[in-house]
Amino acid sequence: MRFLRLFFAIVGFAAVLGSACAGPKSTPEPGQNASSTPQSGGRLVATYRTEPSSFNRYVAPGAADDLVARMIHATLVRMDRATGKLEPRLARDWTSSPDGLTWVFKLQEGVTFSDGVPLTSADVVFSFRALYDLKVASEIASSLLINDKPMQARALDAHTVSIVFPSPYAPGIELLDALPILPEHKLKAALDAGTFRDAWSVTAPLTDIVGLGPFVIEEYLPGRRLVFARNPKFWRHDSAGRPMPYLDRLELQFVADQNTESLRLQAGEADVTTGGVRFEDLTSLQDLARRGKVTLQDAGVSISPDALWFNLEPGAAADRPWLQREELRHAIAHAVNRQAIANTVFLGQAEEIAGPITTGHGEWFLPDLRPAAYDPAKATALLASIGLTDRNGDGLLDDARGRTASFALLTQKGHSVRERTAAIIKEDLRKVGLTVDLAPLEANSMRGLWRDKKYDAILYAVEFDAFDPARNMEFWLSSGSFHFWRPGQKAPATPWEAHIDDVMTRESMLLDPARRHELVADAQRVLAEHAPVLYFVAPHVTVATSARVGGVSASVLTPSVLWNAEGLFVSASPGAIR
Amino acid sequence: MRSSLARFALARLGIASLFVLVVAASAFLLVQLAPGDATTDLFLNRVDQPAIDAARHRLGLDQPVAAQLAHWVGGLARFDLGQSSKFGAPVAGLLANRLANTASLAALALLMALVGIPLGILTGARPRGLLARVVSVVSVALVCCPPIVGTLALLFFGAATGWLSVAPDHLMLPALALALPLAAMLERLQSQAVAQAMRAPDIVAAAARGIPAWRLIWLHAGRHALRSVLGVSGIVIATLFSGSVAVETMTAWPGLGRLMLDALSGRDLYLVAGCAMAGAAMVAAGNLIADLLRAASDPRVVRA
Repeated sequence: MRFLRLFFAIVGFAAVLGSACAGPKSTPEPGQNASSTPQSGGRLVATYRTEPSSFNRYVAPGAADDLVARMIHATLVRMDRATGKLEPRLARDWTSSPDGLTWVFKLQEGVTFSDGVPLTSADVVFSFRALYDLKVASEIASSLLINDKPMQARALDAHTVSIVFPSPYAPGIELLDALPILPEHKLKAALDAGTFRDAWSVTAPLTDIVGLGPFVIEEYLPGRRLVFARNPKFWRHDSAGRPMPYLDRLELQFVADQNTESLRLQAGEADVTTGGVRFEDLTSLQDLARRGKVTLQDAGVSISPDALWFNLEPGAAADRPWLQREELRHAIAHAVNRQAIANTVFLGQAEEIAGPITTGHGEWFLPDLRPAAYDPAKATALLASIGLTDRNGDGLLDDARGRTASFALLTQKGHSVRERTAAIIKEDLRKVGLTVDLAPLEANSMRGLWRDKKYDAILYAVEFDAFDPARNMEFWLSSGSFHFWRPGQKAPATPWEAHIDDVMTRESMLLDPARRHELVADAQRVLAEHAPVLYFVAPHVTVATSARVGGVSASVLTPSVLWNAEGLFVSASPGAIR
Repeated sequence: MRSSLARFALARLGIASLFVLVVAASAFLLVQLAPGDATTDLFLNRVDQPAIDAARHRLGLDQPVAAQLAHWVGGLARFDLGQSSKFGAPVAGLLANRLANTASLAALALLMALVGIPLGILTGARPRGLLARVVSVVSVALVCCPPIVGTLALLFFGAATGWLSVAPDHLMLPALALALPLAAMLERLQSQAVAQAMRAPDIVAAAARGIPAWRLIWLHAGRHALRSVLGVSGIVIATLFSGSVAVETMTAWPGLGRLMLDALSGRDLYLVAGCAMAGAAMVAAGNLIADLLRAASDPRVVRA
């Protein structure tokens, strides 16, 4: 008995020691439903799976860098990521010339950076200068080119700026949502000295980093957390005249593992997580929602569904030419049971789709473009038409030389949805005799093989960050880097790709919405007809937050909740925030 | 004796230094073999090809592997571990903070794991007792349990009961996740060693002379059996650091293991090599200390 006492004493000592080593506890109180009236004050705890690589958004293209920029900086205009509508930000209003080339912005007056220095049009012009500076080689510059040419910004007076587009651009000034306006007084010296890339690195003193956003960086502990404090100089007020942001602090805690992230939300130790809810977590979160501990919001249907494509580079499948045949892709479209994927992988929370434009894209979706029907017999006939038949009676298809027809399908290891979808595809294709070797790989390895064009087929999704197809030209154009199956073509390899290039280029320069819709519909139909990339289902994006969070306007774009951090608030509950 | 111990220590130090260098250089080269590089993420973030080419040039990735390795080794000679491609900051600065976190995690885990030694003495002394039967089942289960499963179980337990915080700043959960399998291993080792020692002729003779049982178990058999635990101290230290990668990632503890994983997934060459070097240095230091302790307690070790 004495020995047992000794044992428990040691364990107890270790427990006390562990607690002593721990930092301050941050436990937002669950179960408090946020009222609909915004309340000022309080702290919100969000988890995020990756860390920023720099506080200088112009040289840091990652999702975490974008999130930090949305917290500490402001843009001339902002896209409401829930509705897709454009709203004024640093620009209070604007006009455009009839040809849509010249835009004149009137800046908000009385706006100051977080260090108190007033915003002027010189800051806007400086931001464009830094963006396109060749020595800076900004990683976000290419997304802010129009037809590969830069925009020209000019200060007309202290609070008026003109921006000239190099050619007509259908999405218009929406792309300015991606350009944070930087303080010239803080960064001009670095730009002039050619050291802009090194400015505002993650090791820079936080007091040097100033912006026009709703928050300022208060504390950064690498690997642990990034704490944002309310920017007292932020100029925005809500419709009732209350100053924004509502939160005193927003703490971003870095939690690399998605299981832990979900557990933290369920344990009431976090208010918001990185993105949409995983389908394996949905049942437990629905239970918590019923008990009033979390709130679930359907953000809509994903605009970045998983896709399967083959390597269509010339010579990529010299020993298996059938891998690049259109009939193979159509056969797979008929052989895969989309409904089974929707039901088993997404628990019924997904829609069958025929192409990259889903109902989540709103007006761009084509309801009459139906996905291929599940028809294994038709798939078998299509495979036979390209010489894939069972020649030795083993139940597996063989090519003309008698070799078993098989291909390797790469997908992202650890991404449960993709791994399960790939397993269903493998099983469905086995039923028609086609052998699939599944190869789940660590994300960067898979992307590396994709970039180096060393693969047979890939099941993956790329996050698109805009609803307007003209903002995703890298996918549509044969020269685009995200033309999944054969990127960066010097000239379109096929007549149908030339056709898509033509209609998408034309639509991206048109200002007539009706004509644009016709052309985008045409591109969608041609893409579905030749199926260079196969789409199966698009899931609903469900966003979970702790019940005490209010002002959530969930978006299918990332960041799904924190894009509107200035509008978030937490309900006042004594002891909730420590 | 003192000079032979010094020679032994110097020889071990030399081997440890070589081990650290080889591990770091291997990590540097192995990352080069994996598909993708530090600019793969740029590709995914839709950065255009000229900007990607510029980044490759800036990071030296357009150089042959041998030239990159030579550049890294040249930096080491000047005590410069290079610049992280992901964070754009010196690797040494990034490592310093994480190394301290991992060291504190490992220290607490080791302290907690030491519970296994007295427990092993108890179960070894009475191998057929109730305590030994219960503890041996639990220990075998814990030893067999991979760190990832044990950590997940603790996370679920913490989230469900609230008794263990799953917050990233809290050391208790990751330390427990690391300590439990180690404690179980130590308990099993110590238990078997004590059981064997209790059957040794000198202990049997001492018992016959009427020496109290507690003294026989705790002073004679326990101390005698400790040598077997000291013998696996290298494995214990290596387990602490290898286990910390999974544990730190899952519990969000900001240590070296998590930094290493981030660096690997981002193909951050210099940071991977730096993390490997720091981890290897900690393992080598632990082993060196264990070797010196064994040498000090058993002169045969020095002569071997």
